[in-house]
Amino acid sequence: MGRILLVFRLVSADMRRHPAQVAMLLVAITAATATLALGLSMHGATDALYRQTREATAGPDVVALSPGTDRTTITALESLEHAPGVVAHSGPYRQFYTKLTARGSTASAVVQGADVTPGPVDRPLVTSGSWVRPGGAVVERGFATALDAGLGDHITVAGRSFPIVGIAVTAAHEVYPWAPMIGPGGGPSDGGGLVWLAERDTRALESTDFPVTSFIYLKLRDPDTARELRLRNPAIAPAMDPAFADTWVNFRAWQHIAEQDSVILRNSQPILVIGSWLLSFLAVAGVAALAAGRAAKQTRRVGLLKAVGATPGLIAAVLLAEYLTLALLADALGLTIARLVEPAVINPSGSLITTATGPTGGTVAVTTVVALAVAALTTLGPTLRALRSGTISALTDPAHRPQRRAWLTRLSALLPTPLLLGLRLIARRPGRAVLHGCNITTTLIAITALLMIYAQPVTGYPGSPMANDQRTAQERHLLLAVTVVVIALAIVNTITITWTTALEARPTMAIARTLGATPGQITAGLSTAQLVPTLPGAITGIPLGLILVYSPGKVTMPPAWWLLGAALAAVLATAVLTAIPARIAVRRSVAQTLSAESA
Amino acid sequence: MYEFGDVLRVRGVCREYGRGESLVRAVDEVDMEVPEGQMLAVMGPSGCGKSTLLHLLGGLERPTDGEVWLAGRRIDTLSERALARLRRGSVGFVFQAFHLVEELSAAENVELPALLAGCSARAARHRAAVLLERVGLADRARHLPSELSGGQRQRVAIARALANEPLVLLADEPTGNLDTAATLDVLRLFEDLRCAGQTLVIVTHDERVAAIADRLVSMRDGMFVDDIRLAGSTTGRLDGLIGLEG
Amino acid sequence: MQDAVLAMLAKEPSHGYQLRARLRRTLGPLGESMNAGQVYVTLARLERAGLVVCERVNGLPDRPDRKVYALTPAGQQRVAAWLAEVSWPKPDLAEFHLKLAAAAAGRLADPVELVAAQRRELLRRLRDVQRAVLAEPDGSTAGLLLQGVVLRLQADLRWLEACERAWSKIDDEI
Repeated sequence: MGRILLVFRLVSADMRRHPAQVAMLLVAITAATATLALGLSMHGATDALYRQTREATAGPDVVALSPGTDRTTITALESLEHAPGVVAHSGPYRQFYTKLTARGSTASAVVQGADVTPGPVDRPLVTSGSWVRPGGAVVERGFATALDAGLGDHITVAGRSFPIVGIAVTAAHEVYPWAPMIGPGGGPSDGGGLVWLAERDTRALESTDFPVTSFIYLKLRDPDTARELRLRNPAIAPAMDPAFADTWVNFRAWQHIAEQDSVILRNSQPILVIGSWLLSFLAVAGVAALAAGRAAKQTRRVGLLKAVGATPGLIAAVLLAEYLTLALLADALGLTIARLVEPAVINPSGSLITTATGPTGGTVAVTTVVALAVAALTTLGPTLRALRSGTISALTDPAHRPQRRAWLTRLSALLPTPLLLGLRLIARRPGRAVLHGCNITTTLIAITALLMIYAQPVTGYPGSPMANDQRTAQERHLLLAVTVVVIALAIVNTITITWTTALEARPTMAIARTLGATPGQITAGLSTAQLVPTLPGAITGIPLGLILVYSPGKVTMPPAWWLLGAALAAVLATAVLTAIPARIAVRRSVAQTLSAESA
Repeated sequence: MYEFGDVLRVRGVCREYGRGESLVRAVDEVDMEVPEGQMLAVMGPSGCGKSTLLHLLGGLERPTDGEVWLAGRRIDTLSERALARLRRGSVGFVFQAFHLVEELSAAENVELPALLAGCSARAARHRAAVLLERVGLADRARHLPSELSGGQRQRVAIARALANEPLVLLADEPTGNLDTAATLDVLRLFEDLRCAGQTLVIVTHDERVAAIADRLVSMRDGMFVDDIRLAGSTTGRLDGLIGLEG
Repeated sequence: MQDAVLAMLAKEPSHGYQLRARLRRTLGPLGESMNAGQVYVTLARLERAGLVVCERVNGLPDRPDRKVYALTPAGQQRVAAWLAEVSWPKPDLAEFHLKLAAAAAGRLADPVELVAAQRRELLRRLRDVQRAVLAEPDGSTAGLLLQGVVLRLQADLRWLEACERAWSKIDDEI
């Protein structure tokens, strides 16, 4: 018990003394786990939402659609009520393909004539306002969101204006912008939103020449057999009126609708999963820089603990406990954030009910493993090194002797002073320079991918600017979000790396100042040390980003100056970011630094 | 102001740390001048302000009050940048803890000031070779500081301090970390420098180091309490120091 | 000095000038002013005490010195006794200490001033010896003797420093 108390006391004291490092560790690992959790929960997420919505709205097992609204069509659809296995039905209903104006913008839409009291199958869930009444329209939620229309707004259909009296969600249509399901005359659909009007109000549309499709909602005894309900199915055909066997009917099983709904997320998952790997990598880089920066102190601490009689096991516990605890905390934070953000990400159109499902056991396990791996990977090395060192050498020798890069040093003698100092710093810590380069590479991969996606032409839905491919918008938003997080983390990393470098270089730089190096030269030197690895990092990042997004076929390349601009911006940003800690480090008095060094 | 050949001239210099209750006057109204070619030793117990005085002389710290003149130029009002340039050309520092750059070889450490001053790599290398020869370490040029003994490290540090032919060499406890033999090596080097006309200011608490100086000032609580001219005051016969009576 | 001369004869009988040269070599700069007379006076005393015998050597007209000195058995015993002896010169600080006390008590002089003057004197001596040390090549035995003197002086200087601190406090109290 006392031992646990001791570990707890040492760990908490250390955390209190280094709040910035604790924060940085938390931010890095949280970003990685949150993105990973999102990416993982994406799989099957829409399916789960669709099932929820279907349950809440008594969604149909099969929707049978047939173009037109003449007698034969209606009779054919109605005859399906008697097909074997069908236990309930609603409709037939009609949907008119039209244009709709709301809040000054026009969008493609299908207007469905609805019962004032919904039938047994498909009872849309009204999320705000009330259900359809004569003279009042209900807009499907995803469509309403795209239109930015709410209760009390007016929509204009075929010259008639209706107030929006309700917003509702249904499982009988595919999500916005695929609400029409089939196009006019059974052709492909241009996409559009869904609006319900009272049957009486649709008469105005009837008189005009809007294309129309009739459909019926069917409930089956066994929903799993929904895909088998086809006219050609020998089990069903005998029940049908042979006279209508030739009528073209399109059957949409509920599974089909669910699949179509998840198409919108098809590209989102890789964005998030790859994004999470990039973020994990950045987290490793950042935490490694942190851990390496603390290694010297850590070694001394180990020496002290050994001197007072701590066993290697206890010491390992003290060293690892801090990082592992923080990793677990960050994991929990990441999962929470993922759960909060999830509804917006997996239900981009808002067409489904979003009661967040929360991460599955598998997701929790994977993110936890990743978080712990980040912590362990980066701290295990320094910990083992610290444990292996002798007690006395640990106490007296604060830093392991760095290897010498003689050629780099010799080369640097030929260069102007700031470069000379910078290169000698790299020679001192080549690993850190590599870490820094990787940092920039990762950032540029994300930025390049973002630029690539933005350069692709938008495949819009004709005549419906708001229905511009929702999927593209979704991808772009997600990628933008991931890129922003990547850049933020890269900034944190850059500051961490520069700061540790500045701290470690302090004695050397103080010596250089006694020899007559100006503060400007020192700042420039520290910045150079970081900038030199930035350039190759930026240059590798661009092609890697292109490869990541590239898919065979028609790909529009972004203008070269976009990419070069991004690389240049990254280099400039690094220059600025590195100059700040360098500047602060230079402010410290030389005399103080040197006396601290020899103390 | 560069009269009487004074390399260093200090007028009413004070250096305070902290404020209010915790105010400490490390250096308290010190006046001094160091003529060209003089070897001056500053002695005193630890914490008497002698290291601070040295830092003030070399422009590593600024006085709270008073003036510091180096080679006829007032330096306490200079910008950091100008101070750096001044140190580069006019001041050489030697420290108790050597303060060599651990990852550079002896020769590379000695090259550093010349490179900082903008010398060509070739000239810097040549100069370093000459200096290492002078401190008797020509055969150790390619060794890392960690591969050298304390005395050798300090001699490398002295060579580095001499790289730009400074007007004055400032040494802070140069033998504080050395054993007797290494101390003698360093003192011989200082003696050579003194003979060559190098101006030296050495802060020390070791009487053996102070004794070879031309002049010795004693500091206590930030003030000078004694000023002894040792040069030219030889007692004469050495044998008076041992009793060998028949 | 008698013991040292005796011990030097233990190796082999020697001429007086040989003895002098060996002494000077061993003492280094500190023995520079030692003259021949001192050695001969010492040898004469030792001869009288029966510790040394002197033999005349004939021939060799170019050598002015014709006497060779050798140890007697009594002399050999004395050398053995000398080597076994562990006596050590006592530091004589009491006199200066009493001087300071007397000066303070009788208000004859400022003890701090006395200490300072003494310190200057010792520092000058230290300077001379230290320079002699630096002039000696590495590993010379004479240098070792000089270093011993240096360390003695250093110890005395540190004691003076303690005196100075103590007496300035006592001064303040008066």
